[in-house]
This record gives sequence, C-alpha cells and structure tokens, in this order.
Amino acid sequence: MINYLIQEPKQDPQGDLPWDGVPAHEIDFWGQLPVQAGTFDHVDGLFYFTYAVCIIFFVIITGVLLYSVFAHRRKTWDQKPLSNVTHNTPLEVVWTIVPLIIVMIMFAWGFKGSLDMTTVPHEAQRNTYKATAKQWNWTFIYPDATQSIAEVYVEVDKPVQFILESTDVLHAFYIPVMRVKRDIVPGRYQSVWFHPIKQGVYPLFCAEYCGDDHSRMYAKVHVVDAATMADRPWNKVPAEDKPVERIAYGARLARQLCASCHKMRDTDTVVTGPSWLGMFTKQGDTYVGRQREVLEGGVTKTITTDDAYIIESIKDPTKKIVAEAPYNKNSMSKFDTLTDDRVACLIAYMKSLADN
Amino acid sequence: MSHDDHHGVMIPAPGPEFVAHEVAHHFSTPVQEFQAGKLGFWLFLATEILLFGGLFAAYFYFHEVFPETFRVGGQQLDWRLGALNTSVLLLSSWTMAMGVRSAQTSQKSKTMIYLVLTVLGALGFMVIKFIEYSAKNEHGLIVFSELFSGYDEVTGQVAWFKDYHGVMKDVAHGHMFFAIYLTMTAIHGLHVIIGAIAIIYVLYGTSKGRYHAGYYLPVDLAGLYWHLVDLIWIFLFPLLYLVP
Amino acid sequence: MTTNTPAVDVQTTQPKAPRENYLNCTTSFKSWALTLDHKRIGLMYLIGTSLAFLAGGVFALLVRLHLWEPEGMLFSNPTYNQIFTLHGAFMVFLFVIPAIPGSLGNIVMPLMVGAKDVALPKLNLLSFYLWVIGAVMAVAAIVMGGFDTGWTFYAPYSLYTDQAVVTIGLAIFVLGFSSIFTGLNFIVTVHKLRAPGMTWFRMPLFVWAIYATAILQVLATPVLGITVLLVAFERLYNVGIFDPRLGGDPVLFEHFFWFYSHPAVYIMVLPAFGIISELVTVHSRKPLFGYKLIAFSSIAIAIISFLVWGHHMFTSGQSTYAMFAFSFLTFFVAIPTAIKEFSWVATVWKGSVALNSPMLYTLAFLIIFAIGGLTGVILGALNVDLHLHDTYFVVAHFHYVMMGSIALAFFAGLHHWWPKMFGIMYNEFQAKIACALIFIGFNATFLPQFVMGSRGMPRRYATYVPEYADYHKASTIGAMILGTGVALMVFYLVASLFIRKKAKQNQWGGVTLDWMCPTPPPHLNFDEEPQVVHEVYDYTTLDYETLQRDCD
Ligand code: HEA
Ligand code: HEA
Ligand code: HEC
Ligand code: CUA
Ligand SMILES: [Cu+2]
Repeated sequence: MINYLIQEPKQDPQGDLPWDGVPAHEIDFWGQLPVQAGTFDHVDGLFYFTYAVCIIFFVIITGVLLYSVFAHRRKTWDQKPLSNVTHNTPLEVVWTIVPLIIVMIMFAWGFKGSLDMTTVPHEAQRNTYKATAKQWNWTFIYPDATQSIAEVYVEVDKPVQFILESTDVLHAFYIPVMRVKRDIVPGRYQSVWFHPIKQGVYPLFCAEYCGDDHSRMYAKVHVVDAATMADRPWNKVPAEDKPVERIAYGARLARQLCASCHKMRDTDTVVTGPSWLGMFTKQGDTYVGRQREVLEGGVTKTITTDDAYIIESIKDPTKKIVAEAPYNKNSMSKFDTLTDDRVACLIAYMKSLADN
Repeated sequence: MSHDDHHGVMIPAPGPEFVAHEVAHHFSTPVQEFQAGKLGFWLFLATEILLFGGLFAAYFYFHEVFPETFRVGGQQLDWRLGALNTSVLLLSSWTMAMGVRSAQTSQKSKTMIYLVLTVLGALGFMVIKFIEYSAKNEHGLIVFSELFSGYDEVTGQVAWFKDYHGVMKDVAHGHMFFAIYLTMTAIHGLHVIIGAIAIIYVLYGTSKGRYHAGYYLPVDLAGLYWHLVDLIWIFLFPLLYLVP
Repeated sequence: MTTNTPAVDVQTTQPKAPRENYLNCTTSFKSWALTLDHKRIGLMYLIGTSLAFLAGGVFALLVRLHLWEPEGMLFSNPTYNQIFTLHGAFMVFLFVIPAIPGSLGNIVMPLMVGAKDVALPKLNLLSFYLWVIGAVMAVAAIVMGGFDTGWTFYAPYSLYTDQAVVTIGLAIFVLGFSSIFTGLNFIVTVHKLRAPGMTWFRMPLFVWAIYATAILQVLATPVLGITVLLVAFERLYNVGIFDPRLGGDPVLFEHFFWFYSHPAVYIMVLPAFGIISELVTVHSRKPLFGYKLIAFSSIAIAIISFLVWGHHMFTSGQSTYAMFAFSFLTFFVAIPTAIKEFSWVATVWKGSVALNSPMLYTLAFLIIFAIGGLTGVILGALNVDLHLHDTYFVVAHFHYVMMGSIALAFFAGLHHWWPKMFGIMYNEFQAKIACALIFIGFNATFLPQFVMGSRGMPRRYATYVPEYADYHKASTIGAMILGTGVALMVFYLVASLFIRKKAKQNQWGGVTLDWMCPTPPPHLNFDEEPQVVHEVYDYTTLDYETLQRDCD
C-alpha cells in the first residue's frame, strides 16, 4: 500500500512542457481577471459588479459586528443587554427587498450574457473548427480539413466556432482569456464560439476531470493575423529531405500524444503501453525491428515491428495486440486521424531512439 | 442497558394466550409510542418511494430517447405472467390487511393464518418471477451466467445480451430495455424478500402472543411495508409489460 | 430560580461530588457499544466524525504540500488524484454530513425539546453502526487500490477507471441510509416527544434547524442511494444507463448526483446555522432577532434547495429554459440565507457580548460565511459561472462554506456544549489562540484560491502552469497555520478530559432546556418531566445571582 502512495513525481527533465513559450496571463486593471482577448465583456462587468456588492456587504457586516463587539462588550458577569428587541418589521422588509433587487439584477444580467454566449452568430458558423478531446490531448481540425495537435491557430477579428467531441470520457474546453467553457460529453454534439480580438498565445485548459493526466491536457491557442493564418503554420510538417527536423517534429508529437502511455526516455516511468526503447536496433545504417508476439483474432503470431505494423498499431490498434502481459490487457485508443506524413515522423523518431 | 429501575407503562394482555407489552422507557404514553412508530415508518416508506423514483426517472428518460427499444422489448415480456403476478400480490395485500385487522381484534390464530397466506403469496410471486427470468435466459435476452462478463469493444454489445432469436436485431441499444427491466424487477424482488422476512418475523411474534388489541404496531408496520411493495409493482407492471 | 423548569431546582442543589450521570452510570464496554442513550451515541459519533475530519485534514495537507511546486512535490498524477478524491469523500460523506446532526444534534436536540431520548433509540444506534460500516468500507476501498474519480463520481470516467469504485459506492449507499435514519428519527422526535408547553414556536432554533435538515436527509438521500447503486450495477453488469458506449447518458448521472448533492450542501449547513443561532443569543444574552423569520427561512431553504441542482451543470449544455430556472432559483435561495445572516448580526447588536471562545468561533463564522455565501451568488450568475466553473474559485467558495463556516460552527458548538457534555472546561486561553490561528490560517489558505481561480486555474490539477505558483505557495503556508490551529484545538480539548477543571452548571447562562437539566445530564436527562412556561430565549428570567454562586 505504501509504494502506491509514494511514487516518483512526474518530471519532464528536458523542459519541453506543453506550456513552454506561453506567457503568463496579463491581469486587468482591477487585479482579478485575465485581460480578455474576446468580446464577452458582460462576464467581466457582472463579475466586478457582484464583487463590489460582496465587498460592500462584507464591510457592512464586519463593521457592525466589530462595532458591537467593542462597544457592547460584556465587562461584568451580570451585564444586561442594552436592548431586548426581538424584531423590527421595517428593517426586516428592507433587508429582504434590497438583496432581492440586487440578485434579480445579477440574474437578468447573467442570463442575457449567457444567451449571447450560446447563440452562435452566422459568421462563426462559417468558420467552424472541430476539437477532439481524448485522454489526454487535443486534436483540432480546421475548416480546410488540415489538422494540428495540442495547439490551434485562429484568426484575429474573426468569430470562430468549435464543434467539440470526446472519444472517451468527459472533458471541458476552457480558454480563460475568451471566458468560454464547455463540457464535452462523449456521444453528444456540442459547440462553443468566441470572437478573438487580441493577438497572442493563450492557454487552453481541460476543465473537467478526466483521469490521470487531466492536468496536462493543455493546448496553446494562437490568435494571429490573416497573413500568418494564410501561411498555415500548424500544417508545416518538415519535408522528407530534412530528417533531423522530422525526428524533432516526431519527438514533439510523441510527447504530446504518446508519452502518457509509452516509455521513450530513460527517465519516463509509464508502463501502460510497451516501451519504445529497444523497439528498433541499429545494424549498420538500417534500423531493424524486434520480434514480437502478437494476438490477432485470438491467434498468437510472431511478427517483426516494421513500419507497416507500426502504422497499423496506430490506426487500428485492436487488430494486432501485443501478447505480453500486462500490455495485452490495456487498450490503446485509435489515432486514425493522424496524417500519414505525421505518422512517418513518429516512426522516424522511434527509430532514432536506437541511435544511442 | 442496565437501567432496569426505569419501568415504563404496561399494556395488559387481553387474554391468557397473549403477553403484556411494556412501553419503551422514553415514551410517556402508549399512544405516543404508537404514533412515533407510525410516523417514522411513513417517512421510511417515503424514502423507499424516492429510491424507486430514481429508477422511474431513468425509465421515462430512456423511454423518451429509445422508444423503439421499449416497444419491441416490452413485447418480449409475457404480460400474462405479469398479470398473474399482479393478482398474486393484490391477493396477498388483502390477506395482509386481514391479518392486521385480526391482530387489532386479538384473534391470534386468524392472524397467523392470514400471515402465512401472505408469505405464501410472496413465495408464489418469486416462483413466477423465476419462471419469467428463465425464459429470458433461454432467449438470450438476459444471460444470467454471463451477467458479469463485461462489454465487448468490437461488437459494442454487453456480454449478457445475446438475443438468440434476433428479436431485437433491428433496434438500436436493444439491451437497454432489459437492463432496466432487470434492475427494476430485481430491486423490487429484493423488497418482496425483505417484506416476506418481516412478515415471518411478526408471524413468530404473533405465535408468542405479543400482538393484540393493545399493541399491534409491528404487524401494522409489516403490513404497510407489504402494501408498498405491492404498490410499486402496480406501477412496474403496466410500465414494463404493457409498454405505453 | 425562575426558569422554564420550576420543578427542577438543580442549580442550588448541585452536590460537590459528581452525581450519577450518563457518563458514569454504567461503565462496561458493552454498556457503551450497545447503548441506546442518545448522549452516548452522540459521543461515539463525535469521536468517529472527528477522526474522519482529522484524516480528511491530513489528506488536505498532503494535497497542499504536493501543490507547493508546479510539477508537484510528492506524488505521481494518479496518486494525487486519489488523494484529493479521498480528501473530498472523507470530508463530505464521513465528516460534514453526519457530524453536526450525529454528534451535537444527538446530544443536545432531545435535551432542548425536553425529551428523555430520541423517539427511536434502536434506530439511532443502527445509524451509528451503519456509519461505522460505511467508514470501514471506505478505508477498505483505499486498501483495495483506492479510487480516483473525484467526490462527484462523474460517469463515464467512474465506470472505466480500474479501481475500487464499487466498494466506495456501496460505502456511500450505507452512509446514506445512516443519514436517512438519523433524519427520520429526529423528525419523529420533534413531532412526538416535545415536553408539555414546548410549542413549535418555543423550540430553540437549533431544533428547527435540525428538523429542516432531517426533512432534506429523508427526501434527498434516497436518490443518492439509487445513483451510487446504479453506478455499481453499471460496473458489475453494464446496465448502460450512464455509459455512452451503450447508449446511456452521462449527463443523466450529473442530474441524479446533484439532485442529491445540492440539497446535501444544505444538509451540511442548516445544522451549522442552528448552532450559530443558539450561540449568538446566549453569548449576547439577547433574544434572537427575528426568531420566526429564521425558523421559516430554514424551511424555505430546505424547499427551494431541491430546485437548484442544475447550477452545478451550467457548462454541460442544458437547455436555455433549464439554465433560466436554475439560475433564477439559485439567486432566490440566497434571500432566506441573507435574512438569517442579518438577523444574527442584529442579535449581536446592543447585546451583552461575551468574548469567550464559542463566541469567537461564532464571529469568525459570521464573517467567513458572508464571503462564502456571496461568492456562491457570484457563481450563480450564468455567464460568470461559464468562466469560473471548475476553477479554484469554486474550490475556495465551497471551502469558505464547508470548512470556514460549517467546520467552524461545529467547533463553536463543541466549545459551547463541551462543559454540558462532560461537566468540565477546557483552557480558554489556548482556545482563543487556536481560534485565531484557525481564522488566520483559513483565510490565508483560501483567499489566494479565489484569486487564482478567477485567473483561470482549473481544479483537480496535479500539476499546474507556473504562473499560479505564488498563490499555491501562499495557500500551502496558510494550510500549515490552519493545521497548527486544529492540532492545538485537538490538544487542549483532549487535555481537558484529564485536567478535569470543573465547569459551571450553566456555564454560559443559557435559558433553553439543555441548560436546565443537570450537568452532565443523567441517563434520562431530566429528574422530572420539564414544563415549559416561558417564551424561548427570554433572558430576563435568568437569575445572575445563582449563576454567579454556581460558578465559585
Ligand atoms: C455547505 C455547503 C454550501 C453552501 C451553504 C453553499 C451555498 C451556496 N452555493 Fe455553493 N457549493 C458547494 C457548497 C455549498 N454552497 C460545493 C461543495 C460546491 C462545489 C461542488 C463540486 O463541484 O465539487 C458548490 C458549488 C456551487 C456552484 C457551482 C459552481 C460551479 O461548479 O460552477 C454554485 C453556482 O451557483 C453555488 C452557489 C451557491 C449559492 C448561491 C449558495 C447560497 O446558498 C449562499 C447564500 C449565502 C449568502 C448570500 C451570504 C449571506 C448573505 C449576505 C451576506 C447578505 C447579502 C446577500 C446578498 C446581497 C445576496 N455553489
Ligand atoms: C467539509 C469539507 C471539507 C473540508 C473541511 C476541507 C478542508 C480543507 N481542504 Fe478541501 N475539499 C473538499 C472538502 C473539504 N475540504 C471537497 C469536497 C473537495 C473537492 C474534491 C474533489 O475535487 O473531488 C476539496 C478539495 C480541496 C482542494 C482542491 C484539490 C484539487 O482540486 O486539486 C484543496 C487544495 O488546496 C483542498 C484543501 C483543503 C484544506 C487545506 C483544508 C483544511 O481546511 C483542512 C484543515 C484540517 C487540518 C489541517 C487537519 C489537521 C490535522 C492534524 C494537524 C493532524 C492531527 C492528527 C492527529 C491528532 C491524529 N481541498
Ligand atoms: C492510452 C494509452 C496509449 C497511448 C496514448 C498510446 N499507446 Fe501505443 N500502445 C498502448 C498499449 C496498451 C499497447 C499494447 C497493446 C496493443 O498492441 O494494442 C500499445 C502498443 C503500441 C505499439 C506496438 C508496440 C510494440 O512494441 O509492439 C505501437 C507502435 C504504438 N503503441 C504506438 C503508439 C503511438 C505512435 C502513439 C501516439 C500517437 C501511441 N502508441 C499512444 C497504449 C497507448
Ligand atoms: Cu480532459 Cu480533463
Ligand atoms: Cu449547489
């Protein structure tokens, strides 16, 4: 029991945390909320209004209490109270009506604002992305059907809608600077929209608890101008004649998508899936896969871990399952939306692990 | 407790075959004791109804979402067996009411006969339920031996739902109706068993002569519980067997 | 002496040697384990729930220590997830829900209505043992691999995660029935066992609060019971009701869960309100301001609280109508609570305010609850909640109400009735120090959480973005101060049992029946059945002379 309590803390020693390069939130004048990069100003307005109401009531209550405590403090054992009133109807009416009015203002303001947030304007509907949440990463598909992982680019001054989808459990799509949050229920259709008006890089958090690496389910939101957008920076997989960049790109993808289950560095401690270390060995200039016992339709076979097998493992993981325990019990989820080019980079990275 | 020095009020026995009842020490009058027991039990019945309320809510929700499943699934149940069970329970409710009545009028042997009949009713209900369950088992609609074998990722079906005759093959989520049917009737069946045990307990007390016109609270409460079990079935029967 | 119980002239006849009371009348182990005496059952509840609180507190300290570093100091992510789940589950199901009704409610409420015991003593004992079984099962679940679902058990994660969810689910089922039986018992007691002359509007407000709580316990808890049962069935035989792969609906689970768990927050807080209502009047020695309104507002809260559960699900995509109704009613429920808060403050006003430790805790409650409740109102605003939902702002909100208000009210009540329960006093000086430490430490822990929450820090995060590190550090330091305060409190309370400094018969000068029976109360509470002749909280009937004499 003790050893499941005390485990190595998870560290990313090489410093490639998903939020590297994202500046801390800039805080607004009143010191509470991050400066908004969207247009839902009513959230801030109502927040500060209720905040002010809170402070006023807090001051009144605390003031009266402190005053009474000091002024009417019991000094002798038999000191009698200064008054024995048991009620005062006008006063009671006042302190029922005044809060009632205040909360009704808050209600109306908040409800109106939420209508604004749930009614998607046409402009945003024409600029629709898809965000797929799975344990524990984000994949985004753009209106032009290209894709990016763990980061997303949106154009400034152009309302955008995200259709949200989950392949496993509940997640939530939360961008603090846009003030949007939406739970993602598997099997349901759901969406959010916002209107980015300020360029920059912002965090996107998963705000609904979804298991082990919930706290790492992070994506960068880049709000960029039209020119950068036209360049499609998210879609730049390094060309095939740049092997070093391809490996680095593959490594980044692997950290984002696969590192929660597969060990790929000596310092990793995950054991959900088989380790990638030793998957290939280097013989001269070529990389040779290892022999693997797999179960295909209940039959045990021995295969070599070559490119085709790996591609199959990624796109259709249940077809051949590693026979070795405990991996045969765990299931890997499908990554069938990964483009071939990206898979090739992943394979290049796996092979590069044999270099040292 | 060793506070034997505090003696409560005694209710005398109406005859030699009965024993006197001592009112618990913290009550001042027998009426107070009786009312407290009654009120407490009604509250308990309210919680039971709310417990089933959750199941009924789930029933109506999914009936709304998958009407086909419920329509076709409902046809797979034998309404004649259901109706038979309904009459068995109604009958036993009547014998229970008569049992309480005869306890109130200090008719010991009559009380016992009625209580035995009620227990037999409960037994009959369970036998019929068993026949129904085995039929479902044979058709593969609820395969009891596979009940805990989980879920098949590939076919997207649960292991206990085999549907040998393919009656639900055109219906999306065909297992849903049977899942709800099983859950509701199993929990209800558990209540039947608990009710029967309670009745056997008061039967034993009656044989010892504990209940009579002066004190019959336990018989009364067992009766209330039994009527509740009956009442819930009255709702279950049309909802499951005669799906609207 | 002229009090509610002219027949019982206890204050002048208090003998020097301890007379027979519920603590010393029998001593065997069996006489405690099988006791039907509400005071003994209450004491056992007190010990049990306090241990649960300390265990939950230790988990809380582990959480806070881990979050000292952005990458986490102590645990792997899955282990952290288990720790915060354990913290939440222990605190909610084993501590706050049963604590006040089970311990102080059990001990004091029958005294206050002038009864010899609760109406159904055997059921009372059963409730306690169900609590014990639930606690044992919860601990067993930890040993069986733990559970990492969060205290909310949201489907479908709770259906897939490979751990002891069934065990803890059944533990909660059992605990639920413990709570139901307590509530049922108290309703019957209030209805049927009030002493002659104790009309509904002469009942002390603690009794009203316990009564309103009991209604909620009886009506809401069964739904939780069936919900956890369905989760267990789902894991055992794939019912499919909550599992989206089988056509089920996870949002239905949320509705079921919050249909219980929102009323549950008032199950937790209403008894705390009751304690505060009692304490402000006794320690200000002034009748409670707006007695009837406070009594009715308890009932109003109990009723409205059934209709607001959807405010936990504003982000789950409800229909516009549902959002409208839930938000509207959420604001509405704030009104009866506001009435209470103002009435308490008005009671202190122009009173004869004693600054002893129960009163200090009470004042701390009044201040902290204002913040906790008002931040709840912020969360009730639809558009703002879309930003704040599931951030540390929510965490701070509910700790202000659950730790800062309810736990502090519990401490207040404990200090107030400690002399009644044991006939002894604790060290007042240490008590004041501890109260100050707890007040300061508490605010230092949770104020920073409001700030980081409104800046976007999500909850249930084992690791976090470094920009929040300073707030987390401040919060951790606060928790250490808080922990020191709690440890000091445990220390002097336990120590007082050994030092045995004798308390007064009527330590604070209360006029309700609980102060009219001997201290500590005998097995059957009152030497003679009390007759209530005065209105409640009528301090003019107090004879300070006798009280003074009694104290020497
Ligand atoms: C005992 C516990 C308790 C209590 C009493 C309350 C009281 C209230 N709570 Fe809280 N709440 C929780 C425990 C509690 N809550 C918990 C545990 C959660 C999170 C669960 C989870 O997700 O894990 C939660 C979450 C929660 C949410 C969901 C947040 C989210 O997840 O997005 C909301 C939203 O409406 C809310 C609202 C309120 C309101 C309006 C009150 C009101 O009843 C408060 C009323 C009190 C006052 C208003 C203060 C006193 C009055 C005055 C000082 C006078 C002035 C008043 C006015 C001008 C209005 N609470
Ligand atoms: C009654 C309810 C209650 C109480 C009293 C507390 C008390 C505390 N809680 Fe709790 N908390 C919850 C209910 C409660 N909590 C719930 C429901 C959740 C949500 C869980 C979830 O998300 O599922 C939560 C979540 C939660 C989180 C968020 C975790 C996350 O989202 O990642 C944090 C973080 O700071 C926290 C901290 C604390 C602290 C510091 C205290 C302190 O106030 C604790 C003070 C007590 C002590 C410090 C104990 C002192 C003990 C000793 C000194 C030992 C002495 C020992 C002996 C004598 C034997 N809590
Ligand atoms: C949810 C955990 C999980 C994630 C995320 C995951 N895997 Fe796996 N993976 C597994 C498990 C478990 C197995 C073994 C069972 C099997 O073969 O399906 C496995 C097997 C494999 C294999 C076969 C390994 C061998 O030694 O034969 C390859 C290749 C693979 N994964 C690649 C990837 C890639 C590439 C990614 C990221 C895009 C990835 N995995 C993400 C869990 C995961
Ligand atoms: Cu995904 Cu949390
Ligand atoms: Cu709530």
